[in-house]
Amino acid sequence: MNKRLFSAGVALLALAVYFAVLVTIADEYWNLNISLGLPVVARTLIAVFGGLIALVLFLAADDYSDYRQPNVLIAAGIMLFLIGSYFGLFVAPPEQFMGETQRIMYVHVPTAWFALVAMTLAAISAIVFLLGGNYKWDARLEASIEVGVVLAFLLCCQGSIWAKPTWGVWWDWDPRLTTTAVLLFAFIGVLALRRFVEDPLKRAIWSSVATIIAYVDVPIVYFSVKWWNSLHQQQSSPSTVSKPFWIPLRANAFGILLLMTGFIMLRSRIAALRLKNERPPLPVVEVTT
Amino acid sequence: MTQGVVTGGWNFVIAAYAITAAILTIYGVTLITRLREERLRASKDPNAE
Amino acid sequence: MLIALRKEFLLQWRSRAQLVAVLVFGAAALLLFSFAIGPNAAALRQFSAGFLWLGLLLSSTLTLAESFHAEMENRALEGLLLLPTSPRVIYYGKAIANWIQLAIIGLSLVPVMVVLYDAGTTRILSLVFIILLGSAGLSAPGTLYAAMTAQIRSKQTLLPLLLFPLIVPALLASVKATSLVILGDPMSEGRSWIILLVAFDAIYWSLCGLLFGRVVDE
Repeated sequence: MNKRLFSAGVALLALAVYFAVLVTIADEYWNLNISLGLPVVARTLIAVFGGLIALVLFLAADDYSDYRQPNVLIAAGIMLFLIGSYFGLFVAPPEQFMGETQRIMYVHVPTAWFALVAMTLAAISAIVFLLGGNYKWDARLEASIEVGVVLAFLLCCQGSIWAKPTWGVWWDWDPRLTTTAVLLFAFIGVLALRRFVEDPLKRAIWSSVATIIAYVDVPIVYFSVKWWNSLHQQQSSPSTVSKPFWIPLRANAFGILLLMTGFIMLRSRIAALRLKNERPPLPVVEVTT
Repeated sequence: MTQGVVTGGWNFVIAAYAITAAILTIYGVTLITRLREERLRASKDPNAE
Repeated sequence: MLIALRKEFLLQWRSRAQLVAVLVFGAAALLLFSFAIGPNAAALRQFSAGFLWLGLLLSSTLTLAESFHAEMENRALEGLLLLPTSPRVIYYGKAIANWIQLAIIGLSLVPVMVVLYDAGTTRILSLVFIILLGSAGLSAPGTLYAAMTAQIRSKQTLLPLLLFPLIVPALLASVKATSLVILGDPMSEGRSWIILLVAFDAIYWSLCGLLFGRVVDE
């Protein structure tokens, strides 16, 4: 583990969480201004980009040699998720039109963001592998696809549960939800491909190619479903968070960010160990057991 | 849906949060289990360095 | 490039019985769809475009899988790669051949559609154009995945599993455009769907050509 990169990630993440969550809590509940004089825009940018860059740093620092770091990330993620859920369930007021179901958005929106981030990480891993041939990136590819599939599946469940009380149906062909479903099937296909190919080099190259092709398809699917749906829908699609209560949203977002990162790191180790156990063993991955 | 208030959504809210927590927890547990399996297999392996 | 094409056409001409079999399969699929809906003339006509394209999509799995069959027998793929042509040429040769095959199947299914679903139209040229664009959209990623799955065991299940989610935009656009041609297009929406199809084709014909080399590398 590259300690410096990881520490930099932790520092950046702490900063992001500070500005995203603590400043808001202090402002709302203790009437304290601890924003260090930074305007809202700057704070938002630090929060968003700080979180994402921290994610990149955590993954880049990871050389699969240690188990403490992903476990720490997961523990921190669980904590933030619990805080966010507490605020979302018990503190946030019900919304004007959506009523209590607004609370679902506090988990749904972060899950959506990070399902897409996981798929993006998969696409990046695919490209890096194709360019360099380092199997560490193949392991990361497998990991981020699997975590992305789990998040996408979760997203479909949440979206369905949200749709029932709102529209009266379990599925409303909302472009975002439909794109997620297509995305889910596309990436499950890539995982199936990996399972059926025995040669590790072929498996790595082919799944990288398939991942890139599937990822390029995502915006195309989104726009086509959007046009397709707009011709039929009588109601306008509601905004996901119409009057947001920032604290649960942001706390959950960082919670899921950390959980996703920790899961990808753990899953990468599984993939790397499997590569090491291959017959004949590939001499390219160093994983301490 | 610009008029009308959605009432009685609590069951769905609980369901959503419960499913989220359940799936994430179950996935995490499977990760830990699979990781242990792989480490076991790697340490028993005569080819392992 | 022309040599690659000529070889493909020769191969296909020699196996034209296969093409006829796929055609019959497609027609049978259209028939089954009508049984699924029931003798509801209005519904059948309204969804005829969808049935046509679903039938073509199902037929494409057979056609695409077959396209690398000759290479896999006798390990001809390695021989092909030893030639001084780049893999890209091989890809485009195969993709164009598949495209033409799919277009032929699609066009042949049109009279079946007209008869079974009472879905006739006078705008034949538009229909032909849409079928050409749509089959191109199926052929590009389909050929790439056919090359991949031909080299492994469970080829039958994997090809549709990989291909179907991918071509959703092409399917949507083709069905909408065809439906507008058959049922009438008062607001000229057809044009935006055609543009989507063209964009999809452009993106995937270039991307898959780029990546094909890595897929058949030994």
